[in-house]
Amino acid sequence: MKRWLALAAVIVAVALLPLLLDPRGYWIRVFTFTLLFAAMAQAWNIVGGLANQTSLGHAAFFGIGAYTSTVLLLKFGISPWLGMLAGGALGGLAALVIAIPTMRLQGHYFALATLAFGEVMRVIANVWTSLTGGPGGLSVPFVPPSLAAYSFKLLRPHAYIALAALVVVTAIFEIIRRGAMGYRLRAIKQNPAAAEVIGVDTTRVKLQAAVISGALIAMLGTLYAQVAVFFDPDTVFGIASISIRIALIAIIGGVGTAAGPILGAFFIIPLEEVMNDLLSSRAAGLSQLVFGVILISVILWRPRGFITVFDSLRARLSRSGAS
Amino acid sequence: MSFLQAILDGLLIGGVYAVISIGLTLVYGVMGIVNFAQAEFLTIGMFTAWFAWAFLGLDPVLAAPLSFAVAFAIGWVVQGQLIARVLSAPSVAQIFLTVGLLIVIENGTLLLFGSQFRSVTTSYQTISLSLGPLFISIPYLIAFAMSLACGVALWWFMRASWFGRAMRATAQNPAAARLMGIDTALMYKMAFALGVGLTAFGGAVILPYVTVYPGVGGQFVVLMFTVVVLGGLGSVAGAVVGGLSVGVIQSLSSLFFPIQLQNLVLFIVFILVLAVRPQGLVGASR
Repeated sequence: MKRWLALAAVIVAVALLPLLLDPRGYWIRVFTFTLLFAAMAQAWNIVGGLANQTSLGHAAFFGIGAYTSTVLLLKFGISPWLGMLAGGALGGLAALVIAIPTMRLQGHYFALATLAFGEVMRVIANVWTSLTGGPGGLSVPFVPPSLAAYSFKLLRPHAYIALAALVVVTAIFEIIRRGAMGYRLRAIKQNPAAAEVIGVDTTRVKLQAAVISGALIAMLGTLYAQVAVFFDPDTVFGIASISIRIALIAIIGGVGTAAGPILGAFFIIPLEEVMNDLLSSRAAGLSQLVFGVILISVILWRPRGFITVFDSLRARLSRSGAS
Repeated sequence: MSFLQAILDGLLIGGVYAVISIGLTLVYGVMGIVNFAQAEFLTIGMFTAWFAWAFLGLDPVLAAPLSFAVAFAIGWVVQGQLIARVLSAPSVAQIFLTVGLLIVIENGTLLLFGSQFRSVTTSYQTISLSLGPLFISIPYLIAFAMSLACGVALWWFMRASWFGRAMRATAQNPAAARLMGIDTALMYKMAFALGVGLTAFGGAVILPYVTVYPGVGGQFVVLMFTVVVLGGLGSVAGAVVGGLSVGVIQSLSSLFFPIQLQNLVLFIVFILVLAVRPQGLVGASR
């Protein structure tokens, strides 16, 4: 009961934050992207955390979502909300297509295969100029502001939509984790052969996880496109900009936990922004270098993520409480 | 005839691919770690050779042992200080440690040397031999010959030297190797340093026909993985077959597809091989 109250308090506090930030300012933009990346990392967490398959290719589905809604809006004037559903369907389909051949791969092999799939999508988006505009990218056209058209003058509504998306994706993650599917995935994670013997249809469960994860992140691709307004293949299908970044957020926060991606996003995204602000003017590459050093340090210090800091704190508190 | 020419070019380029990828497969074979930062050592090797050429007037091909030594030293420290700590950690931690290393090296070189493209000029750069109707590019041929020499040296080292045998023993069974008095931590350092050294060596020998800049390693990442996966991750002989195949595939696909799609063919081959035969085409049952 206490935990639910605490959770509700956190959500309310986060919901109030956009009202305090300057609606035309820089920080509300950072805040919106933080929420969006937290949701993306949470969607990744279904495959990367629950099914224990480290995907380095989730940009493939994310980019599909961004391009589907924007192309539908540009060519047919279809509202991005509907475009988001179409993108989600296509993203889920793409996840199925790549999951079928790669599903039995594990660990490093799976990471490599998904990495290559993301690159395939990036190359296609760069070459298929008539549809995607090629390397020049796409601009989301301006339409009169309204909720139905997913167009707003200020960033505040975008922040709330991103927050709602984070709550929904986190809820889906928790429902899966606590439900029968979560138990099946954990059984596969611990011992695939034993899971098969006790009657878990391992193929089916892994495919389900991949499709849910792919569809969710594709839908978030639409939200990203609407906030960013302009994007190109190398951004939305990028290895470093999307695939590695979202996996990193989940890993630094703590893989396989609902709080992990949120902690990770609130650490990494603002940190990146601050470093870009402070260091980019000094020398190219410095902020990314610092970022890499922090990443290595966190992994050496906490190979299982930041979330373990709370565990050891709690253990220490309860020990000192008992004595 | 252009078909035969493409195969010849592919084989020559592929020999170099084999050497730069052997390091990746060696590290995996001995420690079970996929080093995502491996291609960055190619960048290090290329920069070392470029500076040796620019300041010492050394031909990049002769600077290759220097590139090897620089990367070997860096690799030794990286293994001892960083990789050794995650050997028993979950695979996500291993993957992201080397990803972090990739980010650090790529941006470190950017910070130190700037983003401009650098190339060398050599006397043999534009010369080619004619062999009947075929042409053999001299820089390709030299790079191939150097790679071959390096591969033979490695083969001798792994087969005949005590270190090589100790390293193979460590790969097969670390616990048993320790019981036989082998310092496995030392072997891991040796394997990692040797692996990244080979990749840097390959970087130096391609410098006459590839320009160097901080992101150049990124161009080779998927290529190197394709090579090792084709040959079977962990198999050194497989990497040679994989390297030659990738060279030929790349060269042939440039006959039929526009240049932008060249890598696409490679990626698709890569995913198909992983899906159908993850143990590699050669299928060494390591």
